[in-house]
Amino acid sequence: MGKHITLFLLVFMGFCASAQTINTTGIVKDAASGDVLPGVSIIIKGSTNGTQTDFDGLYTLSNLQPNAVLVFRYLGYKQKEVSAKNGVLDVTLEIEAQSLDEIVLIGYGSQRKKETTGAVSVVSSQTIEDLKPTRIEQALQGQVAGVNITSTSGAPGAASSIRIRGVSTNGDNQPLILVDGNRIEDLSVINPSDIESINILKDATAGIYGVLAANGVIIITTKSGRKNTDLKVVLNSYTGLQNTTREIPLLNATEYALLANEAHGANGEALPFTNIAALGQGTDWQDEVFQTASISNTDITISKGTEKSTYSFGASYLDQDGIVGGGKANFNRLTARFNFNTDLFKNLKFTSSSVYMNTNRKGLSENTLGSVLFNALNMPSNLTPRVGPANVQYTLAPNSGVGIEVINPLAQIEDSYNKAWVNKFSGSYGLNYSFLEHFSVESRIQFNEAKVTSKVYTPEVFYGNSKVFNNGDLEDDINNSGVFEGEQTYKDYTFDAFVKYEQNINDIHDIKLLLGTSVYRSQGINNVSLTGFGANGNSLSNVNVDEADSFQDNLELSNAPRQFFDDRLLSYFSRLQYNYKSKYLFSAVLRRDGSSNFGPENKFGFFPSGSLGWVASEETFLKDSDVINFLKFRASYGIIGNARIGSFGFVSTMSGEGVYVFDDALAFGSAEGTLANPQVRWEKQKPLDFGVDMKLFNKIDITADYFSKTTEDLLIRAEVSGILGVSAPGSGVPTINAGTILNEGLEFSIAYKERVSDDFKFAVSYNFTTLKNEVLKVNLNDDPLTVTGFGLGGQEFARMEVGLPIGYFYGYQTAGIFQTQAEVDAHASQTNANPGDLRFADLNGDGEITPEDRTNLGDPIPELTMGMNFSFDYKSFDFNMYAFASLGNDMVRNYERNLALTNRPAYFLDRWTGPGTSNTFPRVTTGATGNTLFSDFYVEDGSFVRLQNVQVGYSFNAINTTKLGVDKLRLYLSASNLFTLTKYKGYDPTASNGNPLGGGLDNGFYPTPKTFLLGLNVNF
Amino acid sequence: MMKKINIKIIATLMLLMGITFSCSDDFVNVESSAENSEAYFNTEEDYQNALVGAYDLLQTTYLNVLMGEIASDNTLSGGENATDVIGIQEVDNMTHTPLNAQLRNIWGWMFSGINRANFILEFQDKTDFTGKEAVLAQARFLRAYYYFELVKWFGDVPLIVDKRFQFGSQFSVDRTPKAAVFAQMELDLIYAAANLPYVQVEVGRVTKGAAQALLGKAYLYQDKFEEAAAVLDNLVANGPYDLVLDYNTIFEHAGENNIESVFEVQYTELEGAGFGCLQCSEGNVAVGFSGVRNYTGPDFTSGFSFNVPVQEVVDAFEDGDLRKEVAILDIQTWAADTGATFGAGYEDTGFFNRKYIPRIRGADAQGDRNLTNPNNYRAIRFADVLLMASEAHNRSLAANDSKALVYLNRVRERAFGNSDNNITATGSALTELIYKERRVELVGEGHRFFDLVRTGKAKEEIENNVDITTDGKTEVAKSFVVGKHEVFPIPSIEIQLTGNRWEQNYGY
Repeated sequence: MGKHITLFLLVFMGFCASAQTINTTGIVKDAASGDVLPGVSIIIKGSTNGTQTDFDGLYTLSNLQPNAVLVFRYLGYKQKEVSAKNGVLDVTLEIEAQSLDEIVLIGYGSQRKKETTGAVSVVSSQTIEDLKPTRIEQALQGQVAGVNITSTSGAPGAASSIRIRGVSTNGDNQPLILVDGNRIEDLSVINPSDIESINILKDATAGIYGVLAANGVIIITTKSGRKNTDLKVVLNSYTGLQNTTREIPLLNATEYALLANEAHGANGEALPFTNIAALGQGTDWQDEVFQTASISNTDITISKGTEKSTYSFGASYLDQDGIVGGGKANFNRLTARFNFNTDLFKNLKFTSSSVYMNTNRKGLSENTLGSVLFNALNMPSNLTPRVGPANVQYTLAPNSGVGIEVINPLAQIEDSYNKAWVNKFSGSYGLNYSFLEHFSVESRIQFNEAKVTSKVYTPEVFYGNSKVFNNGDLEDDINNSGVFEGEQTYKDYTFDAFVKYEQNINDIHDIKLLLGTSVYRSQGINNVSLTGFGANGNSLSNVNVDEADSFQDNLELSNAPRQFFDDRLLSYFSRLQYNYKSKYLFSAVLRRDGSSNFGPENKFGFFPSGSLGWVASEETFLKDSDVINFLKFRASYGIIGNARIGSFGFVSTMSGEGVYVFDDALAFGSAEGTLANPQVRWEKQKPLDFGVDMKLFNKIDITADYFSKTTEDLLIRAEVSGILGVSAPGSGVPTINAGTILNEGLEFSIAYKERVSDDFKFAVSYNFTTLKNEVLKVNLNDDPLTVTGFGLGGQEFARMEVGLPIGYFYGYQTAGIFQTQAEVDAHASQTNANPGDLRFADLNGDGEITPEDRTNLGDPIPELTMGMNFSFDYKSFDFNMYAFASLGNDMVRNYERNLALTNRPAYFLDRWTGPGTSNTFPRVTTGATGNTLFSDFYVEDGSFVRLQNVQVGYSFNAINTTKLGVDKLRLYLSASNLFTLTKYKGYDPTASNGNPLGGGLDNGFYPTPKTFLLGLNVNF
Repeated sequence: MMKKINIKIIATLMLLMGITFSCSDDFVNVESSAENSEAYFNTEEDYQNALVGAYDLLQTTYLNVLMGEIASDNTLSGGENATDVIGIQEVDNMTHTPLNAQLRNIWGWMFSGINRANFILEFQDKTDFTGKEAVLAQARFLRAYYYFELVKWFGDVPLIVDKRFQFGSQFSVDRTPKAAVFAQMELDLIYAAANLPYVQVEVGRVTKGAAQALLGKAYLYQDKFEEAAAVLDNLVANGPYDLVLDYNTIFEHAGENNIESVFEVQYTELEGAGFGCLQCSEGNVAVGFSGVRNYTGPDFTSGFSFNVPVQEVVDAFEDGDLRKEVAILDIQTWAADTGATFGAGYEDTGFFNRKYIPRIRGADAQGDRNLTNPNNYRAIRFADVLLMASEAHNRSLAANDSKALVYLNRVRERAFGNSDNNITATGSALTELIYKERRVELVGEGHRFFDLVRTGKAKEEIENNVDITTDGKTEVAKSFVVGKHEVFPIPSIEIQLTGNRWEQNYGY
């Protein structure tokens, strides 16, 4: 109230003072939250005069020229120019998303973006809010150059693989992920609205994490509120529908029967279908199996800050059904987080974050022989989903001709009963004490404890003769149903303690020194593993092991130790950062790590890294440039490591399986497990990076990097001679450090923002990454590693071999189709070849098609990935759009069962039926041919462009909302994965099982759903 | 002031705590919760447990039995189609190559068993306890059993005695000539026979009889007829074995480990199994593979229709031979009699190997049921012992045909239920009749191919077989190359992984 009286008086005074000059006054506020901004600097453009806002955000300027332009500047906010007007001029400022003064986290500390010497990328909470991911990884796709996300499945709650700068190892490529200092492996438990920022360290500067850093580091912080702010409440809610992004066109009943007849006829067998005309369209099993599924999410964040403390509370609930299976594939997540930071005494700060998460996930069989989608693709289309007079019974799948795994997928969904739920508590607590002006010491404890429970009910079920999923006999009196209950505890803690010394001498020399230690321990314990025989009940909720007819305690029977892993890491680290006038930047890190996974001869390792930077824009020749506002060159190099190498590779233990039968009962003995290699140690990586950051015209941000990283000492499960006994149950080949991979490429990102007028502004950003991946060494003698799993009988299809990308596809090259017998005779001898079959190239020219004629057919690693987003705000409307593209990644089609009576995709209509009918698609036949051998016929280009997210929002007028007591009310419509452009014939070109060797094999990946959402944001 | 100092103290303490807590490098020395294998064998229990581990690989011999039968002129491979388990199809047609995956499994699984037996023997002097000789005797029998399989299938194989192959040693090891491997087997079996009883408390363990029978068989395979005759006579005279009266009970569950069983590989259906680790299965995988495709009806359950008997072996049974109905299931007749329904697989002959096809399962049978059939494999039956003894006597330099006939006719009397079909021939005529008797007595049990090879009859018997299947197709006659096909090729990758120093078996 007082404020307005003052304003009025001032205006009045101004009015009376002079008619030639004007006076302006007003309040400057934060555009998003409505908070007043104290200390905003306001300059009259073209002069050095100006003023600042006071604690109430109020400013006053008198004696201005009528055409004066006022420039508003505030740290962390976008600069704004407004024409002065006589009287009250309230101004709102927006937070600068990519300000150079922005703080980035670099591991045990932070730095201003303009002083970093490493390749660090930041994803802000605004981007995360825009993308509305159900899992954090979805928000990283396309946002950060060098980061590639592939989904293992579109099923609710499914994991994603994160790859930073290529595939660094044939082992575990998962980067180090820290949430408030806590090591997290499973990102599905995090509520995206809790996140303040995501910082990604991509090069040697991640070396502060030593042997944890080779796959990159992702540092996530959660919201903790700001000091001196009023109680703020943010409520977000959305609800929507999901559909499949794609259905694969299949043969209808008539086409199916025609082709089945043709296949049988080609092999001289009796035709299975006599009355084709009556078959009509038949059943589209995919249609039966895919459904529109609902998704909804509500989250609330409450924060407040006093002079000494900040509080932030966040809670969320997500409920998502599956597009396959609906509620049978449901995932729901409840989170509750409380962050509390306070200054206990003048120099002693306490920070804390406590999070509780509960997730429940029901799942269906996917991406394997006999999974639900696999069956939907292969079930004959002439069968109806149900049979019988009341149309209640599910149709049985035939046995002959479709194999033992193909069953009625609808019956499969109904008879699948499994659920896994996780209860997890994570805490992060720290104390920071600063003393003697330049020193600070910090001590933090971070821990996670999770209980993972699973329950599976296997009812008595009959899917057809000889089906591998059959259980029991419905006709007899014996109850063969079963129930399994399991529970495991996963717990870990990280304890960090470090001392910092920071000294700034006259703004010329700035020195920061860090010395610290970190201790990590992680354990997994089996609590319960019970199998019940003869379950009594008919669904997960009423079936229990202790109500079953009998049960066995698997943990007691097997003698296996309850604790199945105990991994530990002990680290000491130090970092020196020095900059001269913020112009010449230098940083060096040395870390010593020891892990329980390393062999006794290599228990501890040293990991040095260093980086340099030169802020060229601070030099005199560039300082006043209007074009180049900021220009920094940087370089980094170091030796970092990967400790994800499995436990106890260095000792041979009695962890094998030795079970026999005496007196008609199981007898449990003991046996050696995997063979030992006492020298086993970490994988070593040498990443080199050259980068440049610049800001042009005050509007364009550009970052470009060249990276080249060589990872050596890859752990290879070398094939060894069978005479060592490695094929015994529970045994295995030893792991040896004997491989090298090179990943090199270019990253480029550019962002442009423009404020056209007060009503209209837009932003565009684009990034791309090129990647070249090459294996430099495999095994002691460069013998390639092979992966099997294609088609029936698990054929070899991928390799790790010197000179080629890891996991490249290795098979026969086709050279058209044999049109006539004469062509068959003229060609090199090929087993089972007949007119209409694929012709394989005789690459070694020896006249015979043998396994030596196989070659490189492509690989699943993309050569170029790009992300683009475009957003604009016009008056009360806002629009944003995110797109992502991947080029050069190949996929292997492996979802066709290819048996006599399985259904086939519609592209089979293009098959060869006689000379000259096709030179690309072979004939159909039930006889033996080479057409099912792995060849480039099954390798497809998986390049794609996908419109990841489109959103349109409307913010209600600020005046109207304040009447409701609401600061901001926004309604929006959003669509994810709306559109995918690709030549790939399978469900989803973005899918991969994530394995470096064997990725890209499509057994019928559960596609990422297309989602339409209606949502609401309310700020109180 | 006091407050400040207190806080400083707290902070410094915090830091010191941190440093001391993590100071010790020993923090990262974690003992594996599973025992170190080099520090094992401290108690009798350790030896007994490791012995069970050595028995475990016996269950993987299902593949030897299945492929041994298919390689012969008794059965065709069958299956779902011509590419169903290509390795098995190749062995049927005698077109197998060093890239055959199933041969590689046999190689690897048998060597795994040898290593597990040698593991015990490597530490045989570490700890003493009463009954240790019995443990070592079983380990040596098992080592001999696994080596016998390797020698039958591959010929000369690397021999290692009383210690495991260590990682690194594979690059300097050579193939040991067959004769030396047999010599070690003989030593092992003689020791086993001397240190084991005829009857074991736990059913399924190796007995004195098993050791003697395997020893006799080893002699017979080396054409050491006199030695074979001696040990087998001893076994017949002193062992507690006899022929079961009703042939039909031998292969049923109730007939497991009966009086005719000299050595039986044990299986159970109480543990689940999957295709991902067939060697882990506690069930008899060959039984599921040999079952009738798509079967519904009494007594039996479905299988994958591999290992299908041919008309020629069905016709080899003489009239009145009670064994025929037990050994061969004529599915058409059976279906007509009982109303059972069935499907036809690849190379369908209308016959199934009735001794080893899936029966109706118990309530506790675990999945994948195709892989967990509980049918024990009767590895050495007393009938086989009698026939081996008969052959040994007949083929000795100083032949004792009267003794040979006594043994032979015991088998025939049981087979026909009367003495009207007894044999009286002698000399080489008797030899041929013994071979014929072996065929019909042991059809479906995996011995035929190796009997043909050791008696020099492989080419003639296998090549004169032109089989016609129920869909009217005539199978292309197999070609057996003498000097090549008597043994199977060493997997080429195994030669590579030992430094490319071995010569492949001739012709491959």
